[in-house]
Amino acid sequence: MRLSVKNLSAFYGKKQILHDITFPDVDGGMVVGLLGPNASGKSTLMKCLSGEKKSKGNIIFDDDNLQEVGSKKWHEKVATMPQTPPAPTALTPTELMWSTARALALPYSDKELSRKIESIFNDLGLSDFQLDALHTLSGGKRQLIGLALAFIRDPELLLLDEPTSALDLRWRMIVLELVKNKVQQDGRVSIAALHDLDLAARYCDLLVLMKNGKVIASGPSEEVLIPENLARVYHVETEIDLSKPGYPRIDVVGAI
Amino acid sequence: MAHILRPIGMMQTSTLAIEFSRLTRRRVFILSGLLGALVLSLWLDILAGPSGLSAGQVIDGLINPQSLELRYKIILWDVRLPDALIAIVVGAALGLSGIETQTVLDNPLASPFTLGVSSAAVLGASVAIVLLPSVPFVPPAFILPVLALLGALSSSCLILIVVRLSGGARETVILFGIALVFLCNAIASGFHLIADADALQQVVFWTIGNLTKAGWLEVTIVTCCFLAIFPFSIKHVWLLTLLRGGEAHARSTGVDVSRLRTWVIIRSSILAAFAVCFVGTIGFIGLVGPHIARLLLGEDHRMLVPGAVLCSALILSIASGLSKTLIPGVIIPVGILTAVVGVPLFLFLLIQRRGRSS
Repeated sequence: MRLSVKNLSAFYGKKQILHDITFPDVDGGMVVGLLGPNASGKSTLMKCLSGEKKSKGNIIFDDDNLQEVGSKKWHEKVATMPQTPPAPTALTPTELMWSTARALALPYSDKELSRKIESIFNDLGLSDFQLDALHTLSGGKRQLIGLALAFIRDPELLLLDEPTSALDLRWRMIVLELVKNKVQQDGRVSIAALHDLDLAARYCDLLVLMKNGKVIASGPSEEVLIPENLARVYHVETEIDLSKPGYPRIDVVGAI
Repeated sequence: MAHILRPIGMMQTSTLAIEFSRLTRRRVFILSGLLGALVLSLWLDILAGPSGLSAGQVIDGLINPQSLELRYKIILWDVRLPDALIAIVVGAALGLSGIETQTVLDNPLASPFTLGVSSAAVLGASVAIVLLPSVPFVPPAFILPVLALLGALSSSCLILIVVRLSGGARETVILFGIALVFLCNAIASGFHLIADADALQQVVFWTIGNLTKAGWLEVTIVTCCFLAIFPFSIKHVWLLTLLRGGEAHARSTGVDVSRLRTWVIIRSSILAAFAVCFVGTIGFIGLVGPHIARLLLGEDHRMLVPGAVLCSALILSIASGLSKTLIPGVIIPVGILTAVVGVPLFLFLLIQRRGRSS
């Protein structure tokens, strides 16, 4: 399983949003972190990868080119967790999961489906809320339900648009740990747009740093998260600590 | 963290399945109750009237029409049955149109009224009453419903064009619908200004909504239209439920939301057009019926769609029965009573639900 993104461009009307996006090929088992300030093009890139937005260039996953295969075939392999959590309606999480599975004709019997939903809710700490109306749940809980909706489809390519923005510190770590484990166990690929540089450094195998719709740097965290890149993209002065094992620690000194 | 990261599929028992099926059974029970109430309401509506037909005579007349005196046979088969049945099919059609419109436009105020279908039907009816009271070779009874239908279908076509041009943007559709309401009302008001007193009274009477003009032909037409459209609604129940999770979620799963919205708006507006053209603008049903169903059955459209159909049909059927019995010897236009019946019921359920939530 391999994801290849080369020379990708996208437009809103005549305005070009993404400029010739290319990053290293992503192999199965890897989590990619998309980094960048607001309006850097992360969400647009996510929409292009999910097939929701048309683009120019090549997006090839598992030998299928998005531009050539139909939307239906692409969505059999790809699931997206959008930035917006499920709407706060009177629908229950279980009904939303169930209707999603049935609308997409996922091949589960009723028994298998209820077990799967229960298991995903258990993983995400949602078991106590599975039959509560969505409008009674917090933004963080609904964000976790958004992730559960992506998990129910067992995607080979999992796209997460700011999956932890409404979560507290503990659940940010749990969610990214869960994603990393799933991806590594089954040799799948995940791309997550993130704002938290420490989490990105800790959980992502490859980072893509963006600004104004362009890739500024891509590669392992120790190559991408360097003071020069962060100053250029975020306009902040940083100190990077590489002495501790695992991943680089970033200390933001101040705004430039 | 081990329990949290347990792989999917390791659970041995599924309490969720038990709880979910219990919830589903409870909702099926509510649906059955609504169906029972509708049958009872239909029966009482058939019995209601000043002619003194007893329940036994009605049963005999339904089983063997020849057993009744001619006048009773005419009253039962040509007046009461079509009146009672048109109440149910028009209510069902407006309820179906309302629930689907509310869901695809993600707007609790959406209904055939807000899409301008009802106002366009009023405009067509006004043209028929004020300008074309008679047309050569056309039976007078057909002119009004045909022009009302043409008006309503024209508004459906305009909405469709707007949906296509806007790419299915829901705000644009709602705003256009409201603009269409004002435009149709303004033009119809122009006709009312030049209408004589009799014509004006007819227009007002038609606008309020009245079931008594309907016969078997009208019942058959609206029933066929409903039966032709209902299977498509049932086919889409999963997608409509999924859409209640938000447009972003639906799009992320690959659902073509704009296409779904277009299809639903086309069928909803056509259904509403056929429903209102024969009986006038009983639009309130299409708004409140779905909301009552939502309060009773939740958001799962497997239950909500038939629930909205049954609730709306029930309200109009009760209103139809009351319209013949509240003031002896007088038939109150049913459009007045739909709000009188529907609003207290809606408020009761709303307050009860709020109380339970808090």
